[in-house]
Amino acid sequence: MTDDLRSPNQRAWQRFRAHRPAMVGTWFLAVLVVAVLAWPVILRLVSHAGAGGRDFAALHDPDALSEAQFTPPGGAHWFGTDVHGRDLFSRVLYGAQISLLVGAVGAVVSLVIGVLWGAVAGYLGGWWDGWMMRVVDILYSLPSIIFVIVLITILEDKLKFVLAQMGATGMEKLARLLFLFVGLGAVSWLTMARIVRGQVLSLRNRAFVEASRALGAGHAHILARHILPNVLGVVIVYLTLTVPAIILYESFLSYLGLGIQPPMASWGSLIAEGAGQINSLKIYWWLLAFPGALLVTTLLALNFVGDGLRDAWDVRADK
Amino acid sequence: MKFPTESPFAWRRGLRHFYDRPSPARRGVWIAILALALACVFSTGCGPRETRADLVIINGMEPESLDPAILTGVADMRVGNALFEGLTRLDPRTADPVPGLAYRWEITPDGRTYTFHLRSNLVWSTGEPLRAEDVVYSWLRALDPNTASSYASQLFYLKNAEDYNSGKLKDPDQVGVHAPDPLTVRVELNSPTAFFLDLCAFSTLAVVPRQAIERYGDRWLMVQPVPVSGAYELRGWRLGDKIRLHKNSRYWDAANTHCEWVDFLPVSSPTTALNLYETGAADVVWDKDLVPIELMEELLKRHDFHTFPYLGLYFFRFNVTRAPFTDPRVRQALALAIDKARITRKITKGGELPADNFTPPGTARYHAPPGLGYDPERARRLLAEAGFPGGRGFPAFQYIFNAGAGGPASVHAKIAIEMRQMWHDELGIEMELKQLEWSVYLAAQNKLDFDLCRSSWIGDYNDADTFLNMWMSNSGNNRTGWKNARYDELMREADLQTDLARREQLFQAAETILAHDEIPAVPLYFYVGFEYHDETVLQGLYPNILDMHPINAIYKERSASLSKPRSSP
Repeated sequence: MTDDLRSPNQRAWQRFRAHRPAMVGTWFLAVLVVAVLAWPVILRLVSHAGAGGRDFAALHDPDALSEAQFTPPGGAHWFGTDVHGRDLFSRVLYGAQISLLVGAVGAVVSLVIGVLWGAVAGYLGGWWDGWMMRVVDILYSLPSIIFVIVLITILEDKLKFVLAQMGATGMEKLARLLFLFVGLGAVSWLTMARIVRGQVLSLRNRAFVEASRALGAGHAHILARHILPNVLGVVIVYLTLTVPAIILYESFLSYLGLGIQPPMASWGSLIAEGAGQINSLKIYWWLLAFPGALLVTTLLALNFVGDGLRDAWDVRADK
Repeated sequence: MKFPTESPFAWRRGLRHFYDRPSPARRGVWIAILALALACVFSTGCGPRETRADLVIINGMEPESLDPAILTGVADMRVGNALFEGLTRLDPRTADPVPGLAYRWEITPDGRTYTFHLRSNLVWSTGEPLRAEDVVYSWLRALDPNTASSYASQLFYLKNAEDYNSGKLKDPDQVGVHAPDPLTVRVELNSPTAFFLDLCAFSTLAVVPRQAIERYGDRWLMVQPVPVSGAYELRGWRLGDKIRLHKNSRYWDAANTHCEWVDFLPVSSPTTALNLYETGAADVVWDKDLVPIELMEELLKRHDFHTFPYLGLYFFRFNVTRAPFTDPRVRQALALAIDKARITRKITKGGELPADNFTPPGTARYHAPPGLGYDPERARRLLAEAGFPGGRGFPAFQYIFNAGAGGPASVHAKIAIEMRQMWHDELGIEMELKQLEWSVYLAAQNKLDFDLCRSSWIGDYNDADTFLNMWMSNSGNNRTGWKNARYDELMREADLQTDLARREQLFQAAETILAHDEIPAVPLYFYVGFEYHDETVLQGLYPNILDMHPINAIYKERSASLSKPRSSP
């Protein structure tokens, strides 16, 4: 026991702030997210502000074709331009939108399924636990990326057809994105379910749960008020590690040409375009270097943040 | 570390000495065992070792088929021509037809009857004699509706061939090809066909082994040994890896076949192709799609990079059975809004000419009429007339193209992105891009399961006919659903002409319907042929307008291969 009067959460926050790499990672992610969200807005605002602004917006339009093909990084194009003369800086930021969105939504999908599945299995125990965990085991044994590829190829046209029937004509090109969300989320919840189940299993026999049960609380109440808040720390830590894994999955799929379809871009498809330039004669290095560097830095930052959160919530370190 | 002496695991006792008293000799034994085990693992991983072939050619796409009657791709044809020969074959320098299986022929003055005399020493690679009946069988097989050859129309110049192919005529004896004796083939044509000898060298008319096909059916190419009539035998075909050919020692001209072993590598990424060539793993790269366009400026300076005029057209097809592409005004609007000059200037960069019509400049006996041109203003007007002012209400549509290993980096994707953006900016319509694997792409094209589809066409012989007859209603290579009675009529009339000036006029009238009025497909640019090979090492490979290079003519300067550096300023 210490005479520290701060709450556990305050102490966790304190420890997190003391974790240098985690703080750097957090700041980096914050700046990245702000830049990604603000850049399209800036371009739109600037395009209404006189001729100079319009030129600036046109110069940085991520889709507009121009004569400035393969311009090296410089004053006008900070990250250079690609084969179509499109500004790489804008494309990297627009690509970040897709990559981060897929990562975040995929992680949330995995969170919802994983926590519910794991909590229910762990709480019910017995036959239900065994059955639900065997399902997880079976899904674990499937190669997940191939599962997503099969899912995309088989169901994409059907989903498009359904969307067209519903009259949502503009939605077709989002079908692929939707599949990336659902598909990647659906294969990433397994570890989450196992972790949550293990935690719940140890929590459900603890004294405060027994007490609550003795006082007549229902299962839903016990799960929602006592068990889930106690697994929150672990879940958040694991979540920060799921986001980079899903971003990487998406990049991998896009690299194979199965993810985002051109002219939309994600970091994976940008890197694929850049990698096409590796040869022995002449390399347009900026096409690979910038999206690659940003992807690596983001993944690193997310991992540092996850590491920091784990340390912060580790009860054993509380002494 | 000590192990209990009474260990239940007897084998550990052996280890115990190893851990307790490390003696250099014992350690040496263990390392040797480990090394041996590793060696076993690695040697089984590699499989049976294959030596490098004498000639390694990077051939582009994986062939869809090597059956001469079925294949349609240029990459397929290059391999197919090495395996199966026709009555004539192509001269390696000029791509003109020269005697092949037939050593001479007579043509009647009206130009409608050809009598071919076969060489008397012809045998299949498996030893059976090759006779005139085999030629007749091969041609009738290509025409047989059950064979479903896309290229059956190459034989429609024969009397009654078209009716036989459509099933109207059942009796093969009425088709204009007969074998009066084992060494003579008599061919009767509907009309004097100026390029018939060129056709005889074409894959569809190549001579195939009846004995193997009747015995094994569709799988005849998989059963070794495949009897072949050409300069090379098929020794192996591993999908995605290589096609391996070996010299056919029973070929009539085997004395002039230079390379013993030849490998064809299916590589569809330009960068991979270049890297393989640069590291010496390949001798020739000869596909128009296998040039990394980003490096075009650098490559054009090299002495081993060759460019030459080429009868080839890059275009895309509309599916005219699907709305809104049923409306010619919509098709015209889309064609008018493409800045083709930008595509050749910025994307292909090899000196290609923007195409306004279907027949390339340099086609023999022909001058193409003007097409639509580039006029975004008129495109917007036409689209508004068709009921989509400013692109409003225009349904979302898909553009399919085949992607190589380069994925989004392939030239097809780049051209698609350019067109998508042009249509978006000029017409306000949205196109979705969809890249498909080669065989899926071909299947979608054959089933008319697309809105817009990237395509290219390489002239099969040097005549306007090869670029125009594919658009006739009954052609297997039409693949747009477009049918036009007037066009068919003009083409048929042109076929009957002996007067070349009149023939040209009829072709021009037909092409005006095709490239200006109806536009079921939009030409983008005319290809330039490209290939890499080092002339100081490799000889017998000559640029020609068909980009066809008989493999038996290629040979290596052995002495030069080591002394000369690959690239020099």
